[in-house]
Amino acid sequence: MKVELFGMARAIAGVSHVELALDEPVALTELVRALGEACPALIPDVIVAAGDALVEPNLLLLDGRRALPDGARFVAADRPCVMFLPSGG
Amino acid sequence: MSAYAGPRDLLEVDLTARTWRKRALGDDVFADALGGVALAVRLIDERVRGPLEPLDPANPIVLAAGPFASTPVPAANKHALATISPLTGLLNEGLSSSHFSAVLRRCGLAAIVITGACDAWTTLAIDGDEVRFEDASALAGLSARDATKALRDEYGDRSLRVCAIGVAGERGVRFAAVENDGRQAGRGGTGAVFGAKRLKAIALRGRGEVAIADAGATAALSATLRARALGPKTAKYRVLGTSANLRVLQRMGQLPTRNFTAATFAGAENVTPERARESGETYLELRAGCAGCPVQCEHLYVRRDRDRRSAAASEYESVWAFGPNCGVDDLEAVLDAIARCDTLGLDTISTGSAIAFAMECAEHGLVARDAFGQELRFGNAAVLLPAIDAIATRRGLGDALADGVRAAAQRIGGGAVRFAMHCKGLELPGYEPRALPTYALGLATCTRGACHNRAATYDRELRDPSSDRGETLRARDAVEAENRAIAWDSLVLCKFVRDCFEDFEAEGAALWTAVTGVPLDAEGLVAVAQRTWERKRAINARLGWTPDDDTLPERLFAEPIADGPHAGRRVEPERLDALRAAYEALRRAGGVTAAVG
Repeated sequence: MKVELFGMARAIAGVSHVELALDEPVALTELVRALGEACPALIPDVIVAAGDALVEPNLLLLDGRRALPDGARFVAADRPCVMFLPSGG
Repeated sequence: MSAYAGPRDLLEVDLTARTWRKRALGDDVFADALGGVALAVRLIDERVRGPLEPLDPANPIVLAAGPFASTPVPAANKHALATISPLTGLLNEGLSSSHFSAVLRRCGLAAIVITGACDAWTTLAIDGDEVRFEDASALAGLSARDATKALRDEYGDRSLRVCAIGVAGERGVRFAAVENDGRQAGRGGTGAVFGAKRLKAIALRGRGEVAIADAGATAALSATLRARALGPKTAKYRVLGTSANLRVLQRMGQLPTRNFTAATFAGAENVTPERARESGETYLELRAGCAGCPVQCEHLYVRRDRDRRSAAASEYESVWAFGPNCGVDDLEAVLDAIARCDTLGLDTISTGSAIAFAMECAEHGLVARDAFGQELRFGNAAVLLPAIDAIATRRGLGDALADGVRAAAQRIGGGAVRFAMHCKGLELPGYEPRALPTYALGLATCTRGACHNRAATYDRELRDPSSDRGETLRARDAVEAENRAIAWDSLVLCKFVRDCFEDFEAEGAALWTAVTGVPLDAEGLVAVAQRTWERKRAINARLGWTPDDDTLPERLFAEPIADGPHAGRRVEPERLDALRAAYEALRRAGGVTAAVG
């Protein structure tokens, strides 16, 4: 599954996206764990130390425009993006 | 009522009579209006009681200190500026920050009100308890930065703090900025009001103590906020800067492009300063920020083969205005445009929007393509600097653009109004309202015009722009966002630490109580915001505002988004009317009185 990275996630990982081997459909915690294993540098600034959640204000948006409902699963075609919400200046 | 602990003097200056007086503001004033924007609005409300021409000497300029300035509270060295905007004809209130704000309070001042006009260029010098009117003829034509340097040389004092205008303010450009310490109060043309008064600069020197009611509680609360402000909540500002918005908005399909004729920009990656940072080969990145702020959000870039002093701030709105909005994909040209605006004292959003408007007018044959010596068309980086210079000096087409796109469209005629992207005369910032209905409502109703910092509902909407949130909830979101912005701007705290609070209203009120000694709770803070909003609306009504003014540019109704994931979306007039009705009903009922969750 391709995961696009923006903001701090991209700055720390040094890449615009990562490919993760995941069984679909995927839950958010599964994706975050796999992302942390692929890019350990994302812990603790983007992924919490426990490895199972994103550190606010980072969040997962599907296709860059839809938040994941609680408990929902998604597939690669949903185009997951780790990003932040634009704001300010 | 508990006594307010901080500096409480109001300095009233009459530039025509060259007189001044100081008087202490009562505790009731601070309990009612805290400081910053709320205090500035209250002082304008007391003085503007009917129609007023913004460039008339009677138009007051108010500077109101943030009540946490020159205290240990981080991200709080800020002050408000308010006046009647020459761009909108309505109330304009904004913020600037850093050392100037702190020294304002060390001069013992809570606020300054300036009326009248000088016969010749003047510096208003506030030197401790003294106030002087000094000849500034030698400063005319200088940038704010050079004027500051000249005044410091004259005083022999590097710690002198100065706010000043550049050439644009002197020439009455209606979106001229006021600059201090490299920070700008940019929007709405306060710089033109300075210029109309022949007020080139205000110089401050003060070393007074700033009293704090409960130093222990203030230190503890400030330490907590500072620690949070150094954490992940502000990392995007500290590490990347606001220009990181550009890549994200492009991915979201929410990046206004070529004067809002598209919502994605093929050249976006070329102008994102993140890319320059990542490569590190061509550009040098420098950091800056306000005094006393742990975030230090400003990221400046300069080509490695150029003088470091020409580094340009890469704020998102500025990069957007000259990049995507003008269809320019040349980062160096965009940075040069931003730097030139800062030198001349121009608001970057309005300047970029005016040039984008002119580009579209040229494409439709309404203005000459060679009006600025270079071809006036979207994507032509070479036209940016000549256009900016012409605007700042009011030459040729630049003279029309210097009055803002609303007035320029009237002057150009031929249907140019279709290309004028503004609300109440203030040019739109860089978010796509057609895909964000609550943000669109906020832009339409904002008392200042199209201001993203007062209609900041986009962060909630961007999570899920397709959600079916009804009119009442959207109206509530808009009111909450406006009230919260007023609260931030009256305490005053930088909005970039907004995510560092678990319960902003309660924690902000606790900070206020610790610093000033005047009791305030969360509900009281929201009430200050509602009261201040009512004053803003009342001032605007006296100046001629009517409900019909709370609308959006014609393009947003008539032309659906042309590209990207939100293609086909537009603002439906009936929907905006319903949202406005819900918003007005909520405001009439006293706003959202509960603390915002």
